[in-house]
Amino acid sequence: MGRTGCTRIQCRVLTCPRSETTNPFMTILARLEQWKEQGAISPAQHARLASLSRGEPFSLFLELNVLLYAGVLAFVAGLGWTVTTWSQQLGNVVVLATLSIVLAASYWYCFSRASAWSSAETPAPNPILDYVLYLGSLVWCVELAYLENQLHVLSGQWDLYLLATAVLFFLLAYRFDNRFVLSLALSSLAGWFGLTISHWPSHQDAAYRQYALVYCLLVGAGGVLLQRRGLKPHFFGTYLNIVANILFWAVLSGVFEREDYGLWILALLIACGASLAWGLTRRQFAFVAYAAVYGYVGVSSLLLRSVNDTTAVLTYFVFTGEAMLVGLIVIARRFGRSE
Amino acid sequence: MRAYSASSEVALRARKLLKEWAGEAFLTQEQYQRLEQETVSELRTTNIFLRLVLLLFTLIIVGAAAGLFFVVFLSRPSEQTVGAFLLIGTAVCYAAAEVAVSQFHLYRYGIEEALVICSVGFLCGGMEAAFFSGQYSPLPNGAQFLVPAAGAVISLWIWHRFGVWYAFPAAMIFALFLPGYWTSSHSAQHVIVAVGYSIGLIFVAAVRSHHRYDYLEDAYSLIEAFLWLGIYLAINLKLSSLDMPGRWWWGGGTRAPSEFARPFYWTTWVLIWCLPPVVLVRGIRLKDRFVIAVGSIVAILTFISNKPYLGWQRHTWDPMLLGILLTGVALFIRRWLARGAGGIRYGFTAARLSGKDKQWMNASSAVLGLIPQPSTSSPPTRSPDFRFGGGASGGGGASSDF
Repeated sequence: MGRTGCTRIQCRVLTCPRSETTNPFMTILARLEQWKEQGAISPAQHARLASLSRGEPFSLFLELNVLLYAGVLAFVAGLGWTVTTWSQQLGNVVVLATLSIVLAASYWYCFSRASAWSSAETPAPNPILDYVLYLGSLVWCVELAYLENQLHVLSGQWDLYLLATAVLFFLLAYRFDNRFVLSLALSSLAGWFGLTISHWPSHQDAAYRQYALVYCLLVGAGGVLLQRRGLKPHFFGTYLNIVANILFWAVLSGVFEREDYGLWILALLIACGASLAWGLTRRQFAFVAYAAVYGYVGVSSLLLRSVNDTTAVLTYFVFTGEAMLVGLIVIARRFGRSE
Repeated sequence: MRAYSASSEVALRARKLLKEWAGEAFLTQEQYQRLEQETVSELRTTNIFLRLVLLLFTLIIVGAAAGLFFVVFLSRPSEQTVGAFLLIGTAVCYAAAEVAVSQFHLYRYGIEEALVICSVGFLCGGMEAAFFSGQYSPLPNGAQFLVPAAGAVISLWIWHRFGVWYAFPAAMIFALFLPGYWTSSHSAQHVIVAVGYSIGLIFVAAVRSHHRYDYLEDAYSLIEAFLWLGIYLAINLKLSSLDMPGRWWWGGGTRAPSEFARPFYWTTWVLIWCLPPVVLVRGIRLKDRFVIAVGSIVAILTFISNKPYLGWQRHTWDPMLLGILLTGVALFIRRWLARGAGGIRYGFTAARLSGKDKQWMNASSAVLGLIPQPSTSSPPTRSPDFRFGGGASGGGGASSDF
């Protein structure tokens, strides 16, 4: 099949490399041939780009990584399920020893194979190190959960486990330059914040909201500080996206309140403005999308909360939707053309 | 027949590749700027985030405008009246999409996509309300199959005309409902769907051979992958017993094996083992990423559904074995390929050749990271928000540009 395809393409390229106006179906291979003949690209470039376009060689990099990721997730899921189901039959010693061996082996592998630490982006020395580290991190979670559930080492102080886990994962993420583990660290830290509030006698939504803001402040400031210090500055985008989403959710929950929502509306507008400005200046259009969607939801909820007339509500959506559409088209035409 | 001229789409594809190659330093900046001039297209595109937001707001506008029309101009309309106006709305939305493309040259811009999505929704809702209101029955009954049939036809047309990839799986889903109107036999329903998809696959395989390396190759590759996946799902009778939303698929939820005749049941078991290697071999021969992906997915689904098929007991360590198998296969293939001359064997390599692969990895890991992390027991009752091991959203691996 491949040989037949190549022959057909080669015939087309060699016999009739016409311009796109005469040959609308001109393939990229024909176009490359044309560029080579025009001297726009060198023969070496032509050979390389043509082989890339034909998939020669065909890279299985993506597929193999997905298989590894799925394999690690399936393994840890089975491990957790088995430990939960068979803990009484196996006994604590066997379970903890097994988990510890897997954990130690994973981390030993990572520390023994890792290249020297650098504050800049560092590619993994081999393709599986990232997944072994991810495996170790997930097994750490399983082991801690088992320890607390069976032995009650910290007498139910789950938040301390989460805090310790977050600290460990941050260290590992920065040591091995691993975004998977960084995400685990950030979500563990978020879990610690949430769990700390749940210990309070009268925890309410307002408390969660305030702590979400503190979380955003802490993580955002930490991200900025680390980026300014040049410590894995490529992680900054991960921090920023997580902070932006949590911040918008927290502020929106304040806007949805029936009372004392004035400050939250102001905060929402400021956050939207900042997100929009950041997205446009840095060409990170996810932030433009956040500003548009979260801002529209918040402002609409405020304007429509006392409106009961269906016609008015629908009219509102028609006109404000059109206004948003026009604004976004202007942005798209001026800033967001490139894919 | 397509809304866009071939030359425009070819130019867009070439421009996209040029940008990718310049990003990988295969081209100098000067070369990129010069060659970019030769790939000018009149089509207006935008990035994925603005595309999604534009789609969302267009859906809001169309939905609200339709609602407003009914509220203002029709008081207590009959279902037939609503249906008739929805059918008019279908024509309006479709015409607006055509105008957006022909006059404003919108290409994957969100707006025209929302309009065609609305036209499909209005058509099905309109037909149901105008012709079949109050007549729904899950049993086979006359002409009601025309609703999903019309949905399938218009989705196929939209896929062909506008080239939006998700219109094709939408057509496949509409087609899934058709056999339920023709026969009450679940076996026959499975067979009809599988045969229908197979016919589509044969047609697509024949057509795509004429589009090797051209701008339509990716589109045909994707729909072939969808068709393989559809055929597999149609013949795997056990997927609904794996907590799959059976109602979505066959309208009846989990089904007992006794519901199917033994020869049919065991034939499907044989087929779910035969199909993955067939799909994988075809994907590898064509060097088709989507077909290879579907081949891998259906192979994993076969492993997962084999025990329920045979009536064997599941074990808690089954996922561990699956994980070891997947990891082992990945490592074996990687090492086998790496030992070839230049890290290449039979035209395949495990090395990363394109920055696009890394982007795909980041996106995939972000999605997969949403899978809840394991815990060995329920958290304490006084901490309902607890998610052990990083909560429900670990392992994102989000990229700096998201």
